[in-house]
Amino acid sequence: MKMPKLRTMLPAYAGLIIASAPVLAHHSFAAEYESKEITLTGVITKVEWTNPHIYFYIDVKDANGNVANWAVEGYPPNTLKRTGFTRDDLKVGDTVTVTAYRAKDSSSRVAGREIAFPNGGKKFAGPAAGSGPPTAAQ
Amino acid sequence: MRSMRPFAIAAALGVMLAFLGIAETKPIPRAADGKPNLAGVWQSGGVSLYGEPGLSTVKLPPPVNPPPKREPLPYQSWAEAKTKTFTAADDPSLACLLPGVPRITSMPMPFEIVQTPKEIVIAYESFHAFRIIPINDKLQHPNDLVPTWMGDSVARWDSDTLVVDVTGFNDKTWLGGIGSIHSENLHVVERFTLNSDDTITYTATVTDPKVFTKPWTTGALLRRPPNTRVEEYECVENNQDAAHIHK
Repeated sequence: MKMPKLRTMLPAYAGLIIASAPVLAHHSFAAEYESKEITLTGVITKVEWTNPHIYFYIDVKDANGNVANWAVEGYPPNTLKRTGFTRDDLKVGDTVTVTAYRAKDSSSRVAGREIAFPNGGKKFAGPAAGSGPPTAAQ
Repeated sequence: MRSMRPFAIAAALGVMLAFLGIAETKPIPRAADGKPNLAGVWQSGGVSLYGEPGLSTVKLPPPVNPPPKREPLPYQSWAEAKTKTFTAADDPSLACLLPGVPRITSMPMPFEIVQTPKEIVIAYESFHAFRIIPINDKLQHPNDLVPTWMGDSVARWDSDTLVVDVTGFNDKTWLGGIGSIHSENLHVVERFTLNSDDTITYTATVTDPKVFTKPWTTGALLRRPPNTRVEEYECVENNQDAAHIHK
């Protein structure tokens, strides 16, 4: 699948000069997730269309056939709705492929970036890595 | 045909302006009391306004009145040292706490301005913050203030610019940026100027003599996000990040 280039989040706030760059809506991304992109394919087991961020969970089978349940975090529900990603896009039982960034604590948690749906469509679920607020003096 | 001459001149001027790429200045909308009408939904940034960074096909013209860039924060040396003791994990907004002023303006979510001749109300989607801002030419704050996250706001019109004076803050918010602390002496003066291109130029001048060596200014361009209304954002509902973020 097409791998989106990692890009800084800052241009998202082209109209924004106050430098707080609240990435996953309201805090730093880099403090929680790696910047290296990984790809997971799995079956959706649960969807939490919640604030401050959505989560959905996928069962991912490894090369040995072992299944692990991964949590995928995304943008806030309102942001997704406004960018054309609706709650109905995530259906329990569907197989999706997710590009994502893994949690720094090595748990089975990722920040989702782009979701490839069974119908071949793709949508962004969360921000690109490389984002985060600057330090105070910047 | 002397009477046709002004029309001919105007038409020629219009062609010249069009050729030069200069748009005629559109008058700003005004409220019944003659003040600029700031009412409506506004937003300073985020993917729902500007699209995905680097990938967006959203094309917006450059603003006619761009806001100033944020100045470096002029911390006193003790305060500068203190800012460095914090990490992103210490961000008060991570716990869904109100982000204060001017940081609230930078959140990538819409807010609605409601305007009457006597007061301005700003209802923010982010953190369900609201500000009820009386218009008071003397910029007089109540005398019973106790420090709060969003402070106390009063406003006056300076010609066509709405000036909002904010004080009465606690010392628990960040101004924007990791560890951007301040004291309870924080004083913010915001200016909202409605432009002919239907944008608002927002500036905030921040003064805190206990923490900074001098006042500093930041700004943002506010645009009307298309087809957007302010909706619910119940931040504490499923806030898993606070438990997983690393120091």
